[in-house]
Amino acid sequence: MDFALSDEQKQVRDEVRHFANEEIVPVATEYDTEEKFPHDLVEQAAELGIVGANVPLEYGGVGYDYLTNILIVEELFAADPGIGLSISSAAFGADALVAFGTEEQKEKFLRPVAEGDAIMGSAISEPDVGSDVSSVATSAEKDGDEWVIDGNKMWITNGSVGDYFVVVCETDPDAEGRYNGFSQIIVESDRDGFSAEKITGKLGIRASDTAELLFDGVRVPEENLVGTRGAGFLQLMQFFDETRTAVAAQGVGIARGAAERALDYAQEREQFGQPISEFQAIQHKLADMHTQTEAARQLTYKSAWSVDHADDDLTQLASMAKEYASRVAVDVADEAVQIHGGAGYVNDFDVERFYRDAKITQIYEGTTEIQKNIIARELLGKGMV
Amino acid sequence: MKVLVTVTDVAVVDDEFEIDGLDVDERYLTYELNEWDDYAVEEAVQIAEDVTDVEVVTVTVGPERSEEVIRKALAKGADRAVRVWDDAIAERDLLDAETKAELLAAVAREEEPDLILSGVQSGDDSFAATGVTLAEKLGDEWAAVVNQLDLDQDEGLASVHRELEGGVDELTDVELPAVLTIQTGINEPRYASLRGIRQAQNKPLDVKSLEELGLDGSALESPLRWTATYEPESEGEATVFEGAPDETAGELAGVLRDEGVGQ
Ligand SMILES: Cc1cc2nc3c(=O)[nH]c(=O)nc-3n(C[C@H](O)[C@H](O)[C@H](O)COP(=O)(O)OP(=O)(O)OC[C@H]3O[C@@H](n4cnc5c(N)ncnc54)[C@H](O)[C@@H]3O)c2cc1C
Repeated sequence: MDFALSDEQKQVRDEVRHFANEEIVPVATEYDTEEKFPHDLVEQAAELGIVGANVPLEYGGVGYDYLTNILIVEELFAADPGIGLSISSAAFGADALVAFGTEEQKEKFLRPVAEGDAIMGSAISEPDVGSDVSSVATSAEKDGDEWVIDGNKMWITNGSVGDYFVVVCETDPDAEGRYNGFSQIIVESDRDGFSAEKITGKLGIRASDTAELLFDGVRVPEENLVGTRGAGFLQLMQFFDETRTAVAAQGVGIARGAAERALDYAQEREQFGQPISEFQAIQHKLADMHTQTEAARQLTYKSAWSVDHADDDLTQLASMAKEYASRVAVDVADEAVQIHGGAGYVNDFDVERFYRDAKITQIYEGTTEIQKNIIARELLGKGMV
Repeated sequence: MKVLVTVTDVAVVDDEFEIDGLDVDERYLTYELNEWDDYAVEEAVQIAEDVTDVEVVTVTVGPERSEEVIRKALAKGADRAVRVWDDAIAERDLLDAETKAELLAAVAREEEPDLILSGVQSGDDSFAATGVTLAEKLGDEWAAVVNQLDLDQDEGLASVHRELEGGVDELTDVELPAVLTIQTGINEPRYASLRGIRQAQNKPLDVKSLEELGLDGSALESPLRWTATYEPESEGEATVFEGAPDETAGELAGVLRDEGVGQ
């Protein structure tokens, strides 16, 4: 067992940290306040290989393993979760293309994302489809050599800025079994009948774009089908373990960002003639925050390691990491505001934003409750729930 | 064309530290790429991007630890690296500018670069003499504190701006081969891309001992002795002006005038 990162992983981490501190931190409040998508930063990050870090080299990515990818996510989120998500989600859905896409699809859709010329997204949720992902109602019907798509997708990250989306559609309503009959289809945002409505007023991650997608008889060529018709759901589920591990890393980043800022503030702020870090009550908070963050990080690393080594316990670990790290993010951000007192209640200090941003990690990619269902299911040896 | 860039890591001292013997205790030190060298590497990589057939080689006098910053230079686009080190060098408390220049010159004689770029100084020792001493040893032309560089490869000429005291720029043409010491601000150093970091792992990094460079222990002899390190008593003098801005601004202006800052 080896707990050390490789020299190369440390270099990646340090350089992404350098980039995040120089380029993201100074503008984070502005993008949060204005709910503005950071186009330039996403492009710059893509040029540095941050967006396509785990896209294979032959398609313009860097071909890094999942653990290295996770280090990048932590760094971005420790700087700012909203801009961090904008950057790390620019390749949402790319996993499916890497695993199941044809050579043409990879050239056409993967390379532009890895090289910063396109943004993509992954559209699963619908107004009536949240935790129960198997009830997708957006339909795709075959008409000659085209798919005709009708329906709505809700809460789609990059919805109004994305160039194309991997959309989960029902293609074979008569298929037997709850998880059969769905397919993943690529839909470009410039197709007739496609529209996106940006959702504003989010509690946190406000730089990140979220939208509702409307498909009104959208026609795409049949070669936009990803992988096997009818197996879309099974294809999708292969990546839940990865995407959940990524959200765990988001939680670790948020917790670390909040904990570091609280540590700095506690040493500067003086009351009763001494820095508040001299009070044991504050010291214990800081100790707990950093301990929880490190524990969440180790669970997340183990989950990422399991992705890279195809470990049997991966599904359970990914849900444990996601659930725990997101809880730690929320708790640590809460304590960070507490340590800042009144100053933490306004956006002069970053912890106010981290406090709002943290919550999303308990909701998307499967809520806390769903993660616990999965962990229990794995423990009790039950089938899919 | 070949460009040799001198690269070093520098120690950054924590706000709170202790002194252990001659030096700051290792526990309070972190190491990073010398800021001036970052600009020198960028300048070399830009030359390589503008002109065809340029090889950028970095040279470092430093222990294994310094490979971290060497890899960073490689990740930013240098083609290969040479690191000079052995037990005899490690035993020295102090490597003065003369000694470092001697070692770097030995590498330069092997490499025969057309242009050598060094930083104006290293941020920790701040001798600011290594680059020009190296030029002297090689018998090369040189220019110090360069903040603009235009290279005419056909003419074998580097037209440079040198930053002098008081905001004065000196324009000089320097014949190649030459050594230029690079000032911060000459360019905007890039971030290392992840692709660059990945490729850097496979770029050659040769470690050379004194012997391999055809030198012996005499190369390390130095008239300088490092005798002590201490933290000077810090004396602070702060004047706080109390009152309304229109009054205090006048008082501040008075002080500035007395100190010769304003008219
Ligand atoms: C900012 C943002 C970005 C998003 N990005 C994307 C995206 O890019 N692509 C995408 O497809 N989706 C995206 N989503 C959607 C997200 O994945 C869903 O919101 C999430 O899965 C929860 O679904 P829901 O909102 O419908 O909540 P519901 O499923 O309605 O859940 C409501 C509550 O009921 C609980 N609950 C539901 N079922 C159970 C159960 N079986 N047992 C116990 N408790 C249960 C939940 O845990 C929750 O507390 C995003 C959401 C947000 C807010």
